[in-house]
Amino acid sequence: MNKRYGIVIDIDRCTGCGACMLACAVENNVPPLPAANDRRGITWMRVSRIDNGEEYPERRSAFVPMMCQQCGVETPCAHVCPQQAVDVDPATGIVGQMPERCLGCRYCMAACPYHARYFNWWDPSWPAGMEKTLNPDVAPRMRGVVEKCNFCHGRWHRAKERAAAAGEKDIRPGDYLPACVEACPAGAIRFGDLNDPASEVSAARKEPGTFRLLEKLGTDTKVYYHSKRDWVRQIAFAPRPGKENVRG
Amino acid sequence: MTTRRELLQFAGGSAMGLLLTPAPWRLITDTALWSENWPGIPRPARGEIRAKFTHCGLCAAGCAVRARCVGEQPVSLSGVAGGLCPFGVAGHHLPYHPERLKQGNRKEAAEAVARAIAASGPERRVAVLDLQPGRTASWTYRRALAAIPHGVYIAPPEPACSLNFAAARMVLSLGAPLLDGFAQPARVFAARPNFRLIQAEAMESRTASAADEWLPVAPGTEAVLGRAAAGVLPVRQAAEMTGLPEGRIAGMIRALRENGPALIVAPQMTPEVLAWNIALGAWGKTVMPRREAPVPKTWSKAAPAVALETVKDGSIGALLIDESVGDGHLPWESIRPKLATDAVVVAFAWTRSGYARHATHVLPAAVYPEALGDVPPAVDGVNAEFRLTVPLIASPDGTIDPAEFVAALAGLDAKDALRERAAAIHATGRGKLCTYADGKVAAVKDLKPEDFWKALSTGAAWTGDAEESGRTPRIAATFAGPSSEHWPFRVAIETACAPALASPLIGKLTQESHLRLAANRAALHPREGFLDGTRAAIETPYGRRIFEVTVDVAVPPGVVLVAGGPEIADIVGADGCARVVRI
Repeated sequence: MNKRYGIVIDIDRCTGCGACMLACAVENNVPPLPAANDRRGITWMRVSRIDNGEEYPERRSAFVPMMCQQCGVETPCAHVCPQQAVDVDPATGIVGQMPERCLGCRYCMAACPYHARYFNWWDPSWPAGMEKTLNPDVAPRMRGVVEKCNFCHGRWHRAKERAAAAGEKDIRPGDYLPACVEACPAGAIRFGDLNDPASEVSAARKEPGTFRLLEKLGTDTKVYYHSKRDWVRQIAFAPRPGKENVRG
Repeated sequence: MTTRRELLQFAGGSAMGLLLTPAPWRLITDTALWSENWPGIPRPARGEIRAKFTHCGLCAAGCAVRARCVGEQPVSLSGVAGGLCPFGVAGHHLPYHPERLKQGNRKEAAEAVARAIAASGPERRVAVLDLQPGRTASWTYRRALAAIPHGVYIAPPEPACSLNFAAARMVLSLGAPLLDGFAQPARVFAARPNFRLIQAEAMESRTASAADEWLPVAPGTEAVLGRAAAGVLPVRQAAEMTGLPEGRIAGMIRALRENGPALIVAPQMTPEVLAWNIALGAWGKTVMPRREAPVPKTWSKAAPAVALETVKDGSIGALLIDESVGDGHLPWESIRPKLATDAVVVAFAWTRSGYARHATHVLPAAVYPEALGDVPPAVDGVNAEFRLTVPLIASPDGTIDPAEFVAALAGLDAKDALRERAAAIHATGRGKLCTYADGKVAAVKDLKPEDFWKALSTGAAWTGDAEESGRTPRIAATFAGPSSEHWPFRVAIETACAPALASPLIGKLTQESHLRLAANRAALHPREGFLDGTRAAIETPYGRRIFEVTVDVAVPPGVVLVAGGPEIADIVGADGCARVVRI
């Protein structure tokens, strides 16, 4: 049976430390950009601060980790790509991005309702010596292409290889975790196969207070959020949580 | 005869026809593939993938770290029993930081210190400032200073006790960043589902936003609630000072007393905070004596730790500052008056961001994860612990081990100090050893000394046996009045554990998103009258720093929020008083 990998994020547990953002950049060889700002920065995983709109001392905040929501149906970025550089893998449900095919038109960025895609404005470069710390499972990509979260596809390949070496047909649950899930000290991000009724995420997505962003679009995203607070759940109807409604 | 028109038609037709063949599209693909791999783009190293284990040396929490290495080179770090903080996640980038110090004149510095030792006397002393006391290196400093005439060992106060979050059911945090770098994230978050967290703080910090209840007190009055909980301050007076309703404070105190074991946590676990906990009956339950791993008996002759405040002004002729480790910083303006006018100041540092700015000599030190050392007892370590920061890569030529430098001044050989201490621990036969690679736990008495050391030096951790808490210390809970009104602002530090320099990737949090404040910015409430992007100066009794203003409604009036790090620590005292002026 095909898998349908997904994530459930407990917003009430997230402290906004940013470890997931760092782990994502380390894992996927996303470079530090000296000339970048919040518009041009490349943050496949971005944590935004939201609030209830009240004045101090009634003001309350929460942190929302945002990445590609991995649309399963009518995937907007895949529809608009003239190069077929975006593809939904039927075996995993992961929306993949092939930078070799991308011509940098950025239609997909315009089409993405979650603003989760980033354009590589520069060739990747690291301070002298730091290139030694690059992850050998992920190639650094050139400038002029659009990229996004792919649930650490390099890790999926690694897990597949390990499973094959062990003579197993399939990856065991827990053997494949994206870097952000592994890094979260608060345990706010859970990952697994949504098609597997025994998986933790399968049960978690049915809990009260769990929602998806812009569910009305019918894109069947595979990233779920959870909060017990009503005002936090209102982000389900916003184009993008937080004040950063800007694009790279 | 072929006409020119026919020639042009042929050429045009050929060009159009070429587009219908795969050739141009193949060329585009090949060009894209080439540009992805052209020599300007770095290529990741290839080699055998393996895991190494160590402990994070960036702060006293000392989290267990699993490093994924290609050959000998770490390419990613992750926690062993839970996640790491963002600084720890990218800690393996530090050796390559553009601002890394790599050169220094050891001979010149050693000669200057030797001259200062020769000229020392009761009024002109030789001092070491150890920013992370409790390590084996700290013992080396103390032993060396006991041997050097007029030596004095200066260290910031260590926590007065250890905290047991696993046993707590109610936690009152008085502005401590409990969920954001205060203690080991793995331990705190493992215990988090079992306790109710009340965060008393002027602004809604990361910890406050994830707490069960946030008490928005008036800036600088967090400690008032601790005094009220301990019964040394009437609730009514506490309500007046904090701006909270009396009923809310009374309810909080009732909850602490009835739903225990309770725990009061403050950014600095001073004897006063310990006294509040004792008054709540927390001693032996959630608050324990601070325990250190055993040391060899031959180390008994060691200089005592002295607080900086007790050192006479102008009495230090030579000061050696060990800031090779991540955390801990005393304002330079509190150190400067203690120095003689011609004092020699040697900073052992890996960056110029800290005390190296003020030193007469700067010597490059190894940085995590190059440096071999141990981690001091964690504030949330219930039992004694011995954890090594095992080097994952070699330090560059020219780096100097501060402990060996100081030991050499006293004629001590401290190269094997860690091994000697491990032998002393093994000799007690107590405790157990946890090896992260296989998750096994073995009793020390079942291990040979060589195996014990070998395991420690490959990233294992020793934990002492559980001990009785002993007699409850007698510490009086006191009440101190509010501080001066000349400083209307309170400085809130967003990242209390911020190291001097972090991985360049931290820009993802400060520059490429707005998750954390950048080091050059200060956030103020719009009511303070500052405009976004303008410059302002923060003035304190210790000095002045200029910042770019970020207007943020999440910062309460009367509070100025800054990022953290040595430059701000240089000017902010323990009370956090300040004023903000336009430039």
